[in-house]
Amino acid sequence: MATTHLCGEGDSADVLNMCVVEDNCKLPNGLEHTILTAVEEDRKVKRTKRGGLSLGLRKGNQKHRDYIKIPVPDSKNNRLPLEWWKTGIAFVYATFNLILTTVMITVVHERVPDKESSPPLPDKFFDYIDRVPWAFSVAEINGMVLVGLWFVQWLFLRYKAIAGRRFFFLMGTLYLYRCVTMYITTLPVPGMHMTCAPKVYGDSQAKVHRILQLISGGGLSMTSSNLMCGDFLYSGHTVMLTLTYLFIKEYSPRSLWWYHLICWLLSAVGVVCILVAHEHYSVDVVVAYFITSRLFWWYHTMANVQELRSSPHNYLMNTWWNPMFSFFEKNVQTQVPCTFSWPISWPPSCFKNSCKRYTMVQSP
Amino acid sequence: MKKVAQWSTEEVSQWLTEEGMPEYSESFQHLNGQDLLKLTKADFQSPPLSLVTSDGGRQLLDKIETLRIEHHIEAHKNGHANGHAIVAADGDGGGKAKRNGVLNGFRKDAVQIPIPEPERSPYPVEWGKTAIAFLYAVCCFVFTTVMISVVHERVPSMETDPPLPDKFFDIFDRVEWAFSICEINGMLLVALWLLQWTLLKYKSIVGRRFFFIVGTLYLYRCITMYITTLPVPGRHFKCAPKLFGDWEAQMRRVLKMIAGGGLSITGSHHMCGDYLYSGHTVMLTLTYLFIKEYSPKRFWCYHWFCWILSAVGIVCILLAHDHYTVDVVVAYYITTRLFWWYHTMANQQALKETSQSNFFSRVWWYRFFQYFEQNVQGIVPRNYELPFSWRPPRWSQTKYTRIDT
Repeated sequence: MATTHLCGEGDSADVLNMCVVEDNCKLPNGLEHTILTAVEEDRKVKRTKRGGLSLGLRKGNQKHRDYIKIPVPDSKNNRLPLEWWKTGIAFVYATFNLILTTVMITVVHERVPDKESSPPLPDKFFDYIDRVPWAFSVAEINGMVLVGLWFVQWLFLRYKAIAGRRFFFLMGTLYLYRCVTMYITTLPVPGMHMTCAPKVYGDSQAKVHRILQLISGGGLSMTSSNLMCGDFLYSGHTVMLTLTYLFIKEYSPRSLWWYHLICWLLSAVGVVCILVAHEHYSVDVVVAYFITSRLFWWYHTMANVQELRSSPHNYLMNTWWNPMFSFFEKNVQTQVPCTFSWPISWPPSCFKNSCKRYTMVQSP
Repeated sequence: MKKVAQWSTEEVSQWLTEEGMPEYSESFQHLNGQDLLKLTKADFQSPPLSLVTSDGGRQLLDKIETLRIEHHIEAHKNGHANGHAIVAADGDGGGKAKRNGVLNGFRKDAVQIPIPEPERSPYPVEWGKTAIAFLYAVCCFVFTTVMISVVHERVPSMETDPPLPDKFFDIFDRVEWAFSICEINGMLLVALWLLQWTLLKYKSIVGRRFFFIVGTLYLYRCITMYITTLPVPGRHFKCAPKLFGDWEAQMRRVLKMIAGGGLSITGSHHMCGDYLYSGHTVMLTLTYLFIKEYSPKRFWCYHWFCWILSAVGIVCILLAHDHYTVDVVVAYYITTRLFWWYHTMANQQALKETSQSNFFSRVWWYRFFQYFEQNVQGIVPRNYELPFSWRPPRWSQTKYTRIDT
């Protein structure tokens, strides 16, 4: 005979027991119970305090028509949806900000004070270490290597869309901040060695030409596209070096410590070389590092720590870019796992052997 | 209720039904209370009981034991110390009462029930930590002052280095009295914050946070001031002459500046070079953030007033051409981010532990943060109390002799 438990009756009513009763079991009086949920039990507990067998009779007599639907969490629900279109929007945002930065550099260039009238500002690093001419090429090479590595790594990520979206958004925002700081106060050139292109004073066509040249060269001095001065606070090169390193480290397996170390060295050497080349003031580099790392950590903590999203005391949401963040990360419900896959997946139909046909399954 | 030992067969049967074990009622028809108490596990191994029971009689025996204990407590309420504890048994099922040996006579050994100690407050006061934070802030202030004095020696002269081009300066001309407004606003905000702080209940925790954040901001300021020296933002500046290594005079300047709080109004700030980033903006922004955070939400008038004071103060700094625009913008950015960062970490338990997903733990001051905030559990509530307890003098009250003696 199967065991039956009359839940909640008698003096143990304060203990809510999940009343699971096997099918087809019979109480002494031949009553049948169906499966009750805890919710129903709660309601019934209040009524059973008057307890006794009589209530059991009453309970049994009611047909349990009020079933309660238990929502089983959908295991197939994708917690990391790809949403490539959002990545597209982030890409557009980043491109827009890059172009804005380029335009801003051209504008600021017109306002850079002359080398003669405004000599380079005193800088502690420059006092200790003299200029090394080839150092800036090293910084730029490191930058290009890091960007290349990150690109390759990104291709192999499984959740390309999400990681790419984050990268574009952060880069765009950092360059936007850079536009602001560049524009409001113009620092003089950090060293007498810098050759700045002549000013064009209102010749719009020449300015547009310069903008295009800068974009096509990627803003690097090595490609001779950046002959313009004035974009000192804060350093875009530092931003790229730091950001690519942070992304590489975050989206690769923890066990590849040697890879992380190499990238860290590339990044650190690149940043130091910027200073050694006297191409930026120390404060430019320090501020750039600070803003980049803080923004990266801020964004990723907001994205990864799920409790923050529902917490009312989340000050992280006070930033101006919080709506954009919500838009991008709304559907990402968990930390992006570090999984890799081939960038191109062969469509399975290429390999399906067309000889075998399972008529019952494959017939239309 | 009668003792179990005196139950009749009907009462046994009724109890069985009440306890939800009606299957035994037939077999126990002839059992009374005494027999019930004498049941052992062995009885359930053999028929007829083995046929009716599904669990070897374990549940029934547990319930009998409970009954026995209940009655034992009832009977010995005033005599026994501590009564009997229900000790979780090892092995079969939890919550099984320990048998005391003799069925009908109860052993009189006392069992100690560990009473949980009174709950520690989730907001411990810990003035020691606040004192450390205060020392840290003071150190940072002194360090900043020394740094200003050092940087002053390196500021390029106005002739060789003209003021840098600044967008705000291009649009707005200089207003002479604006900087005084800024400093008055700053002093007002600091005073308001101090007053509010004395009325808070959890002064020590909030004070600790304020000192730590202010100290860190001034420390960052030292660094940015030192590494690159910006020229003076305007020709109106009257910078004190350089001292070139005269330590005594420099020390005197440092002390004078500390005594004056670094304000121009008090005549203590004649030194130039401390431009990136603006300390005035830091104080204006930070006091406003703290005032808003630790005052009731419904005081929106008060919040608006402080916001206006703060905003007007910051704009006045720029109007007075006393700082570059980038100094003010960077100061605002760093202050707000640090404030929000710290408070989010303090309010979320999940962020107080180092983990892979907690990037906030990578800041250099994370250990200090943990030291200060590890015993604070949860969000500090906005409770207020008078700073000293106000009790009316005793003679004005009636004395209740039985209570007050």
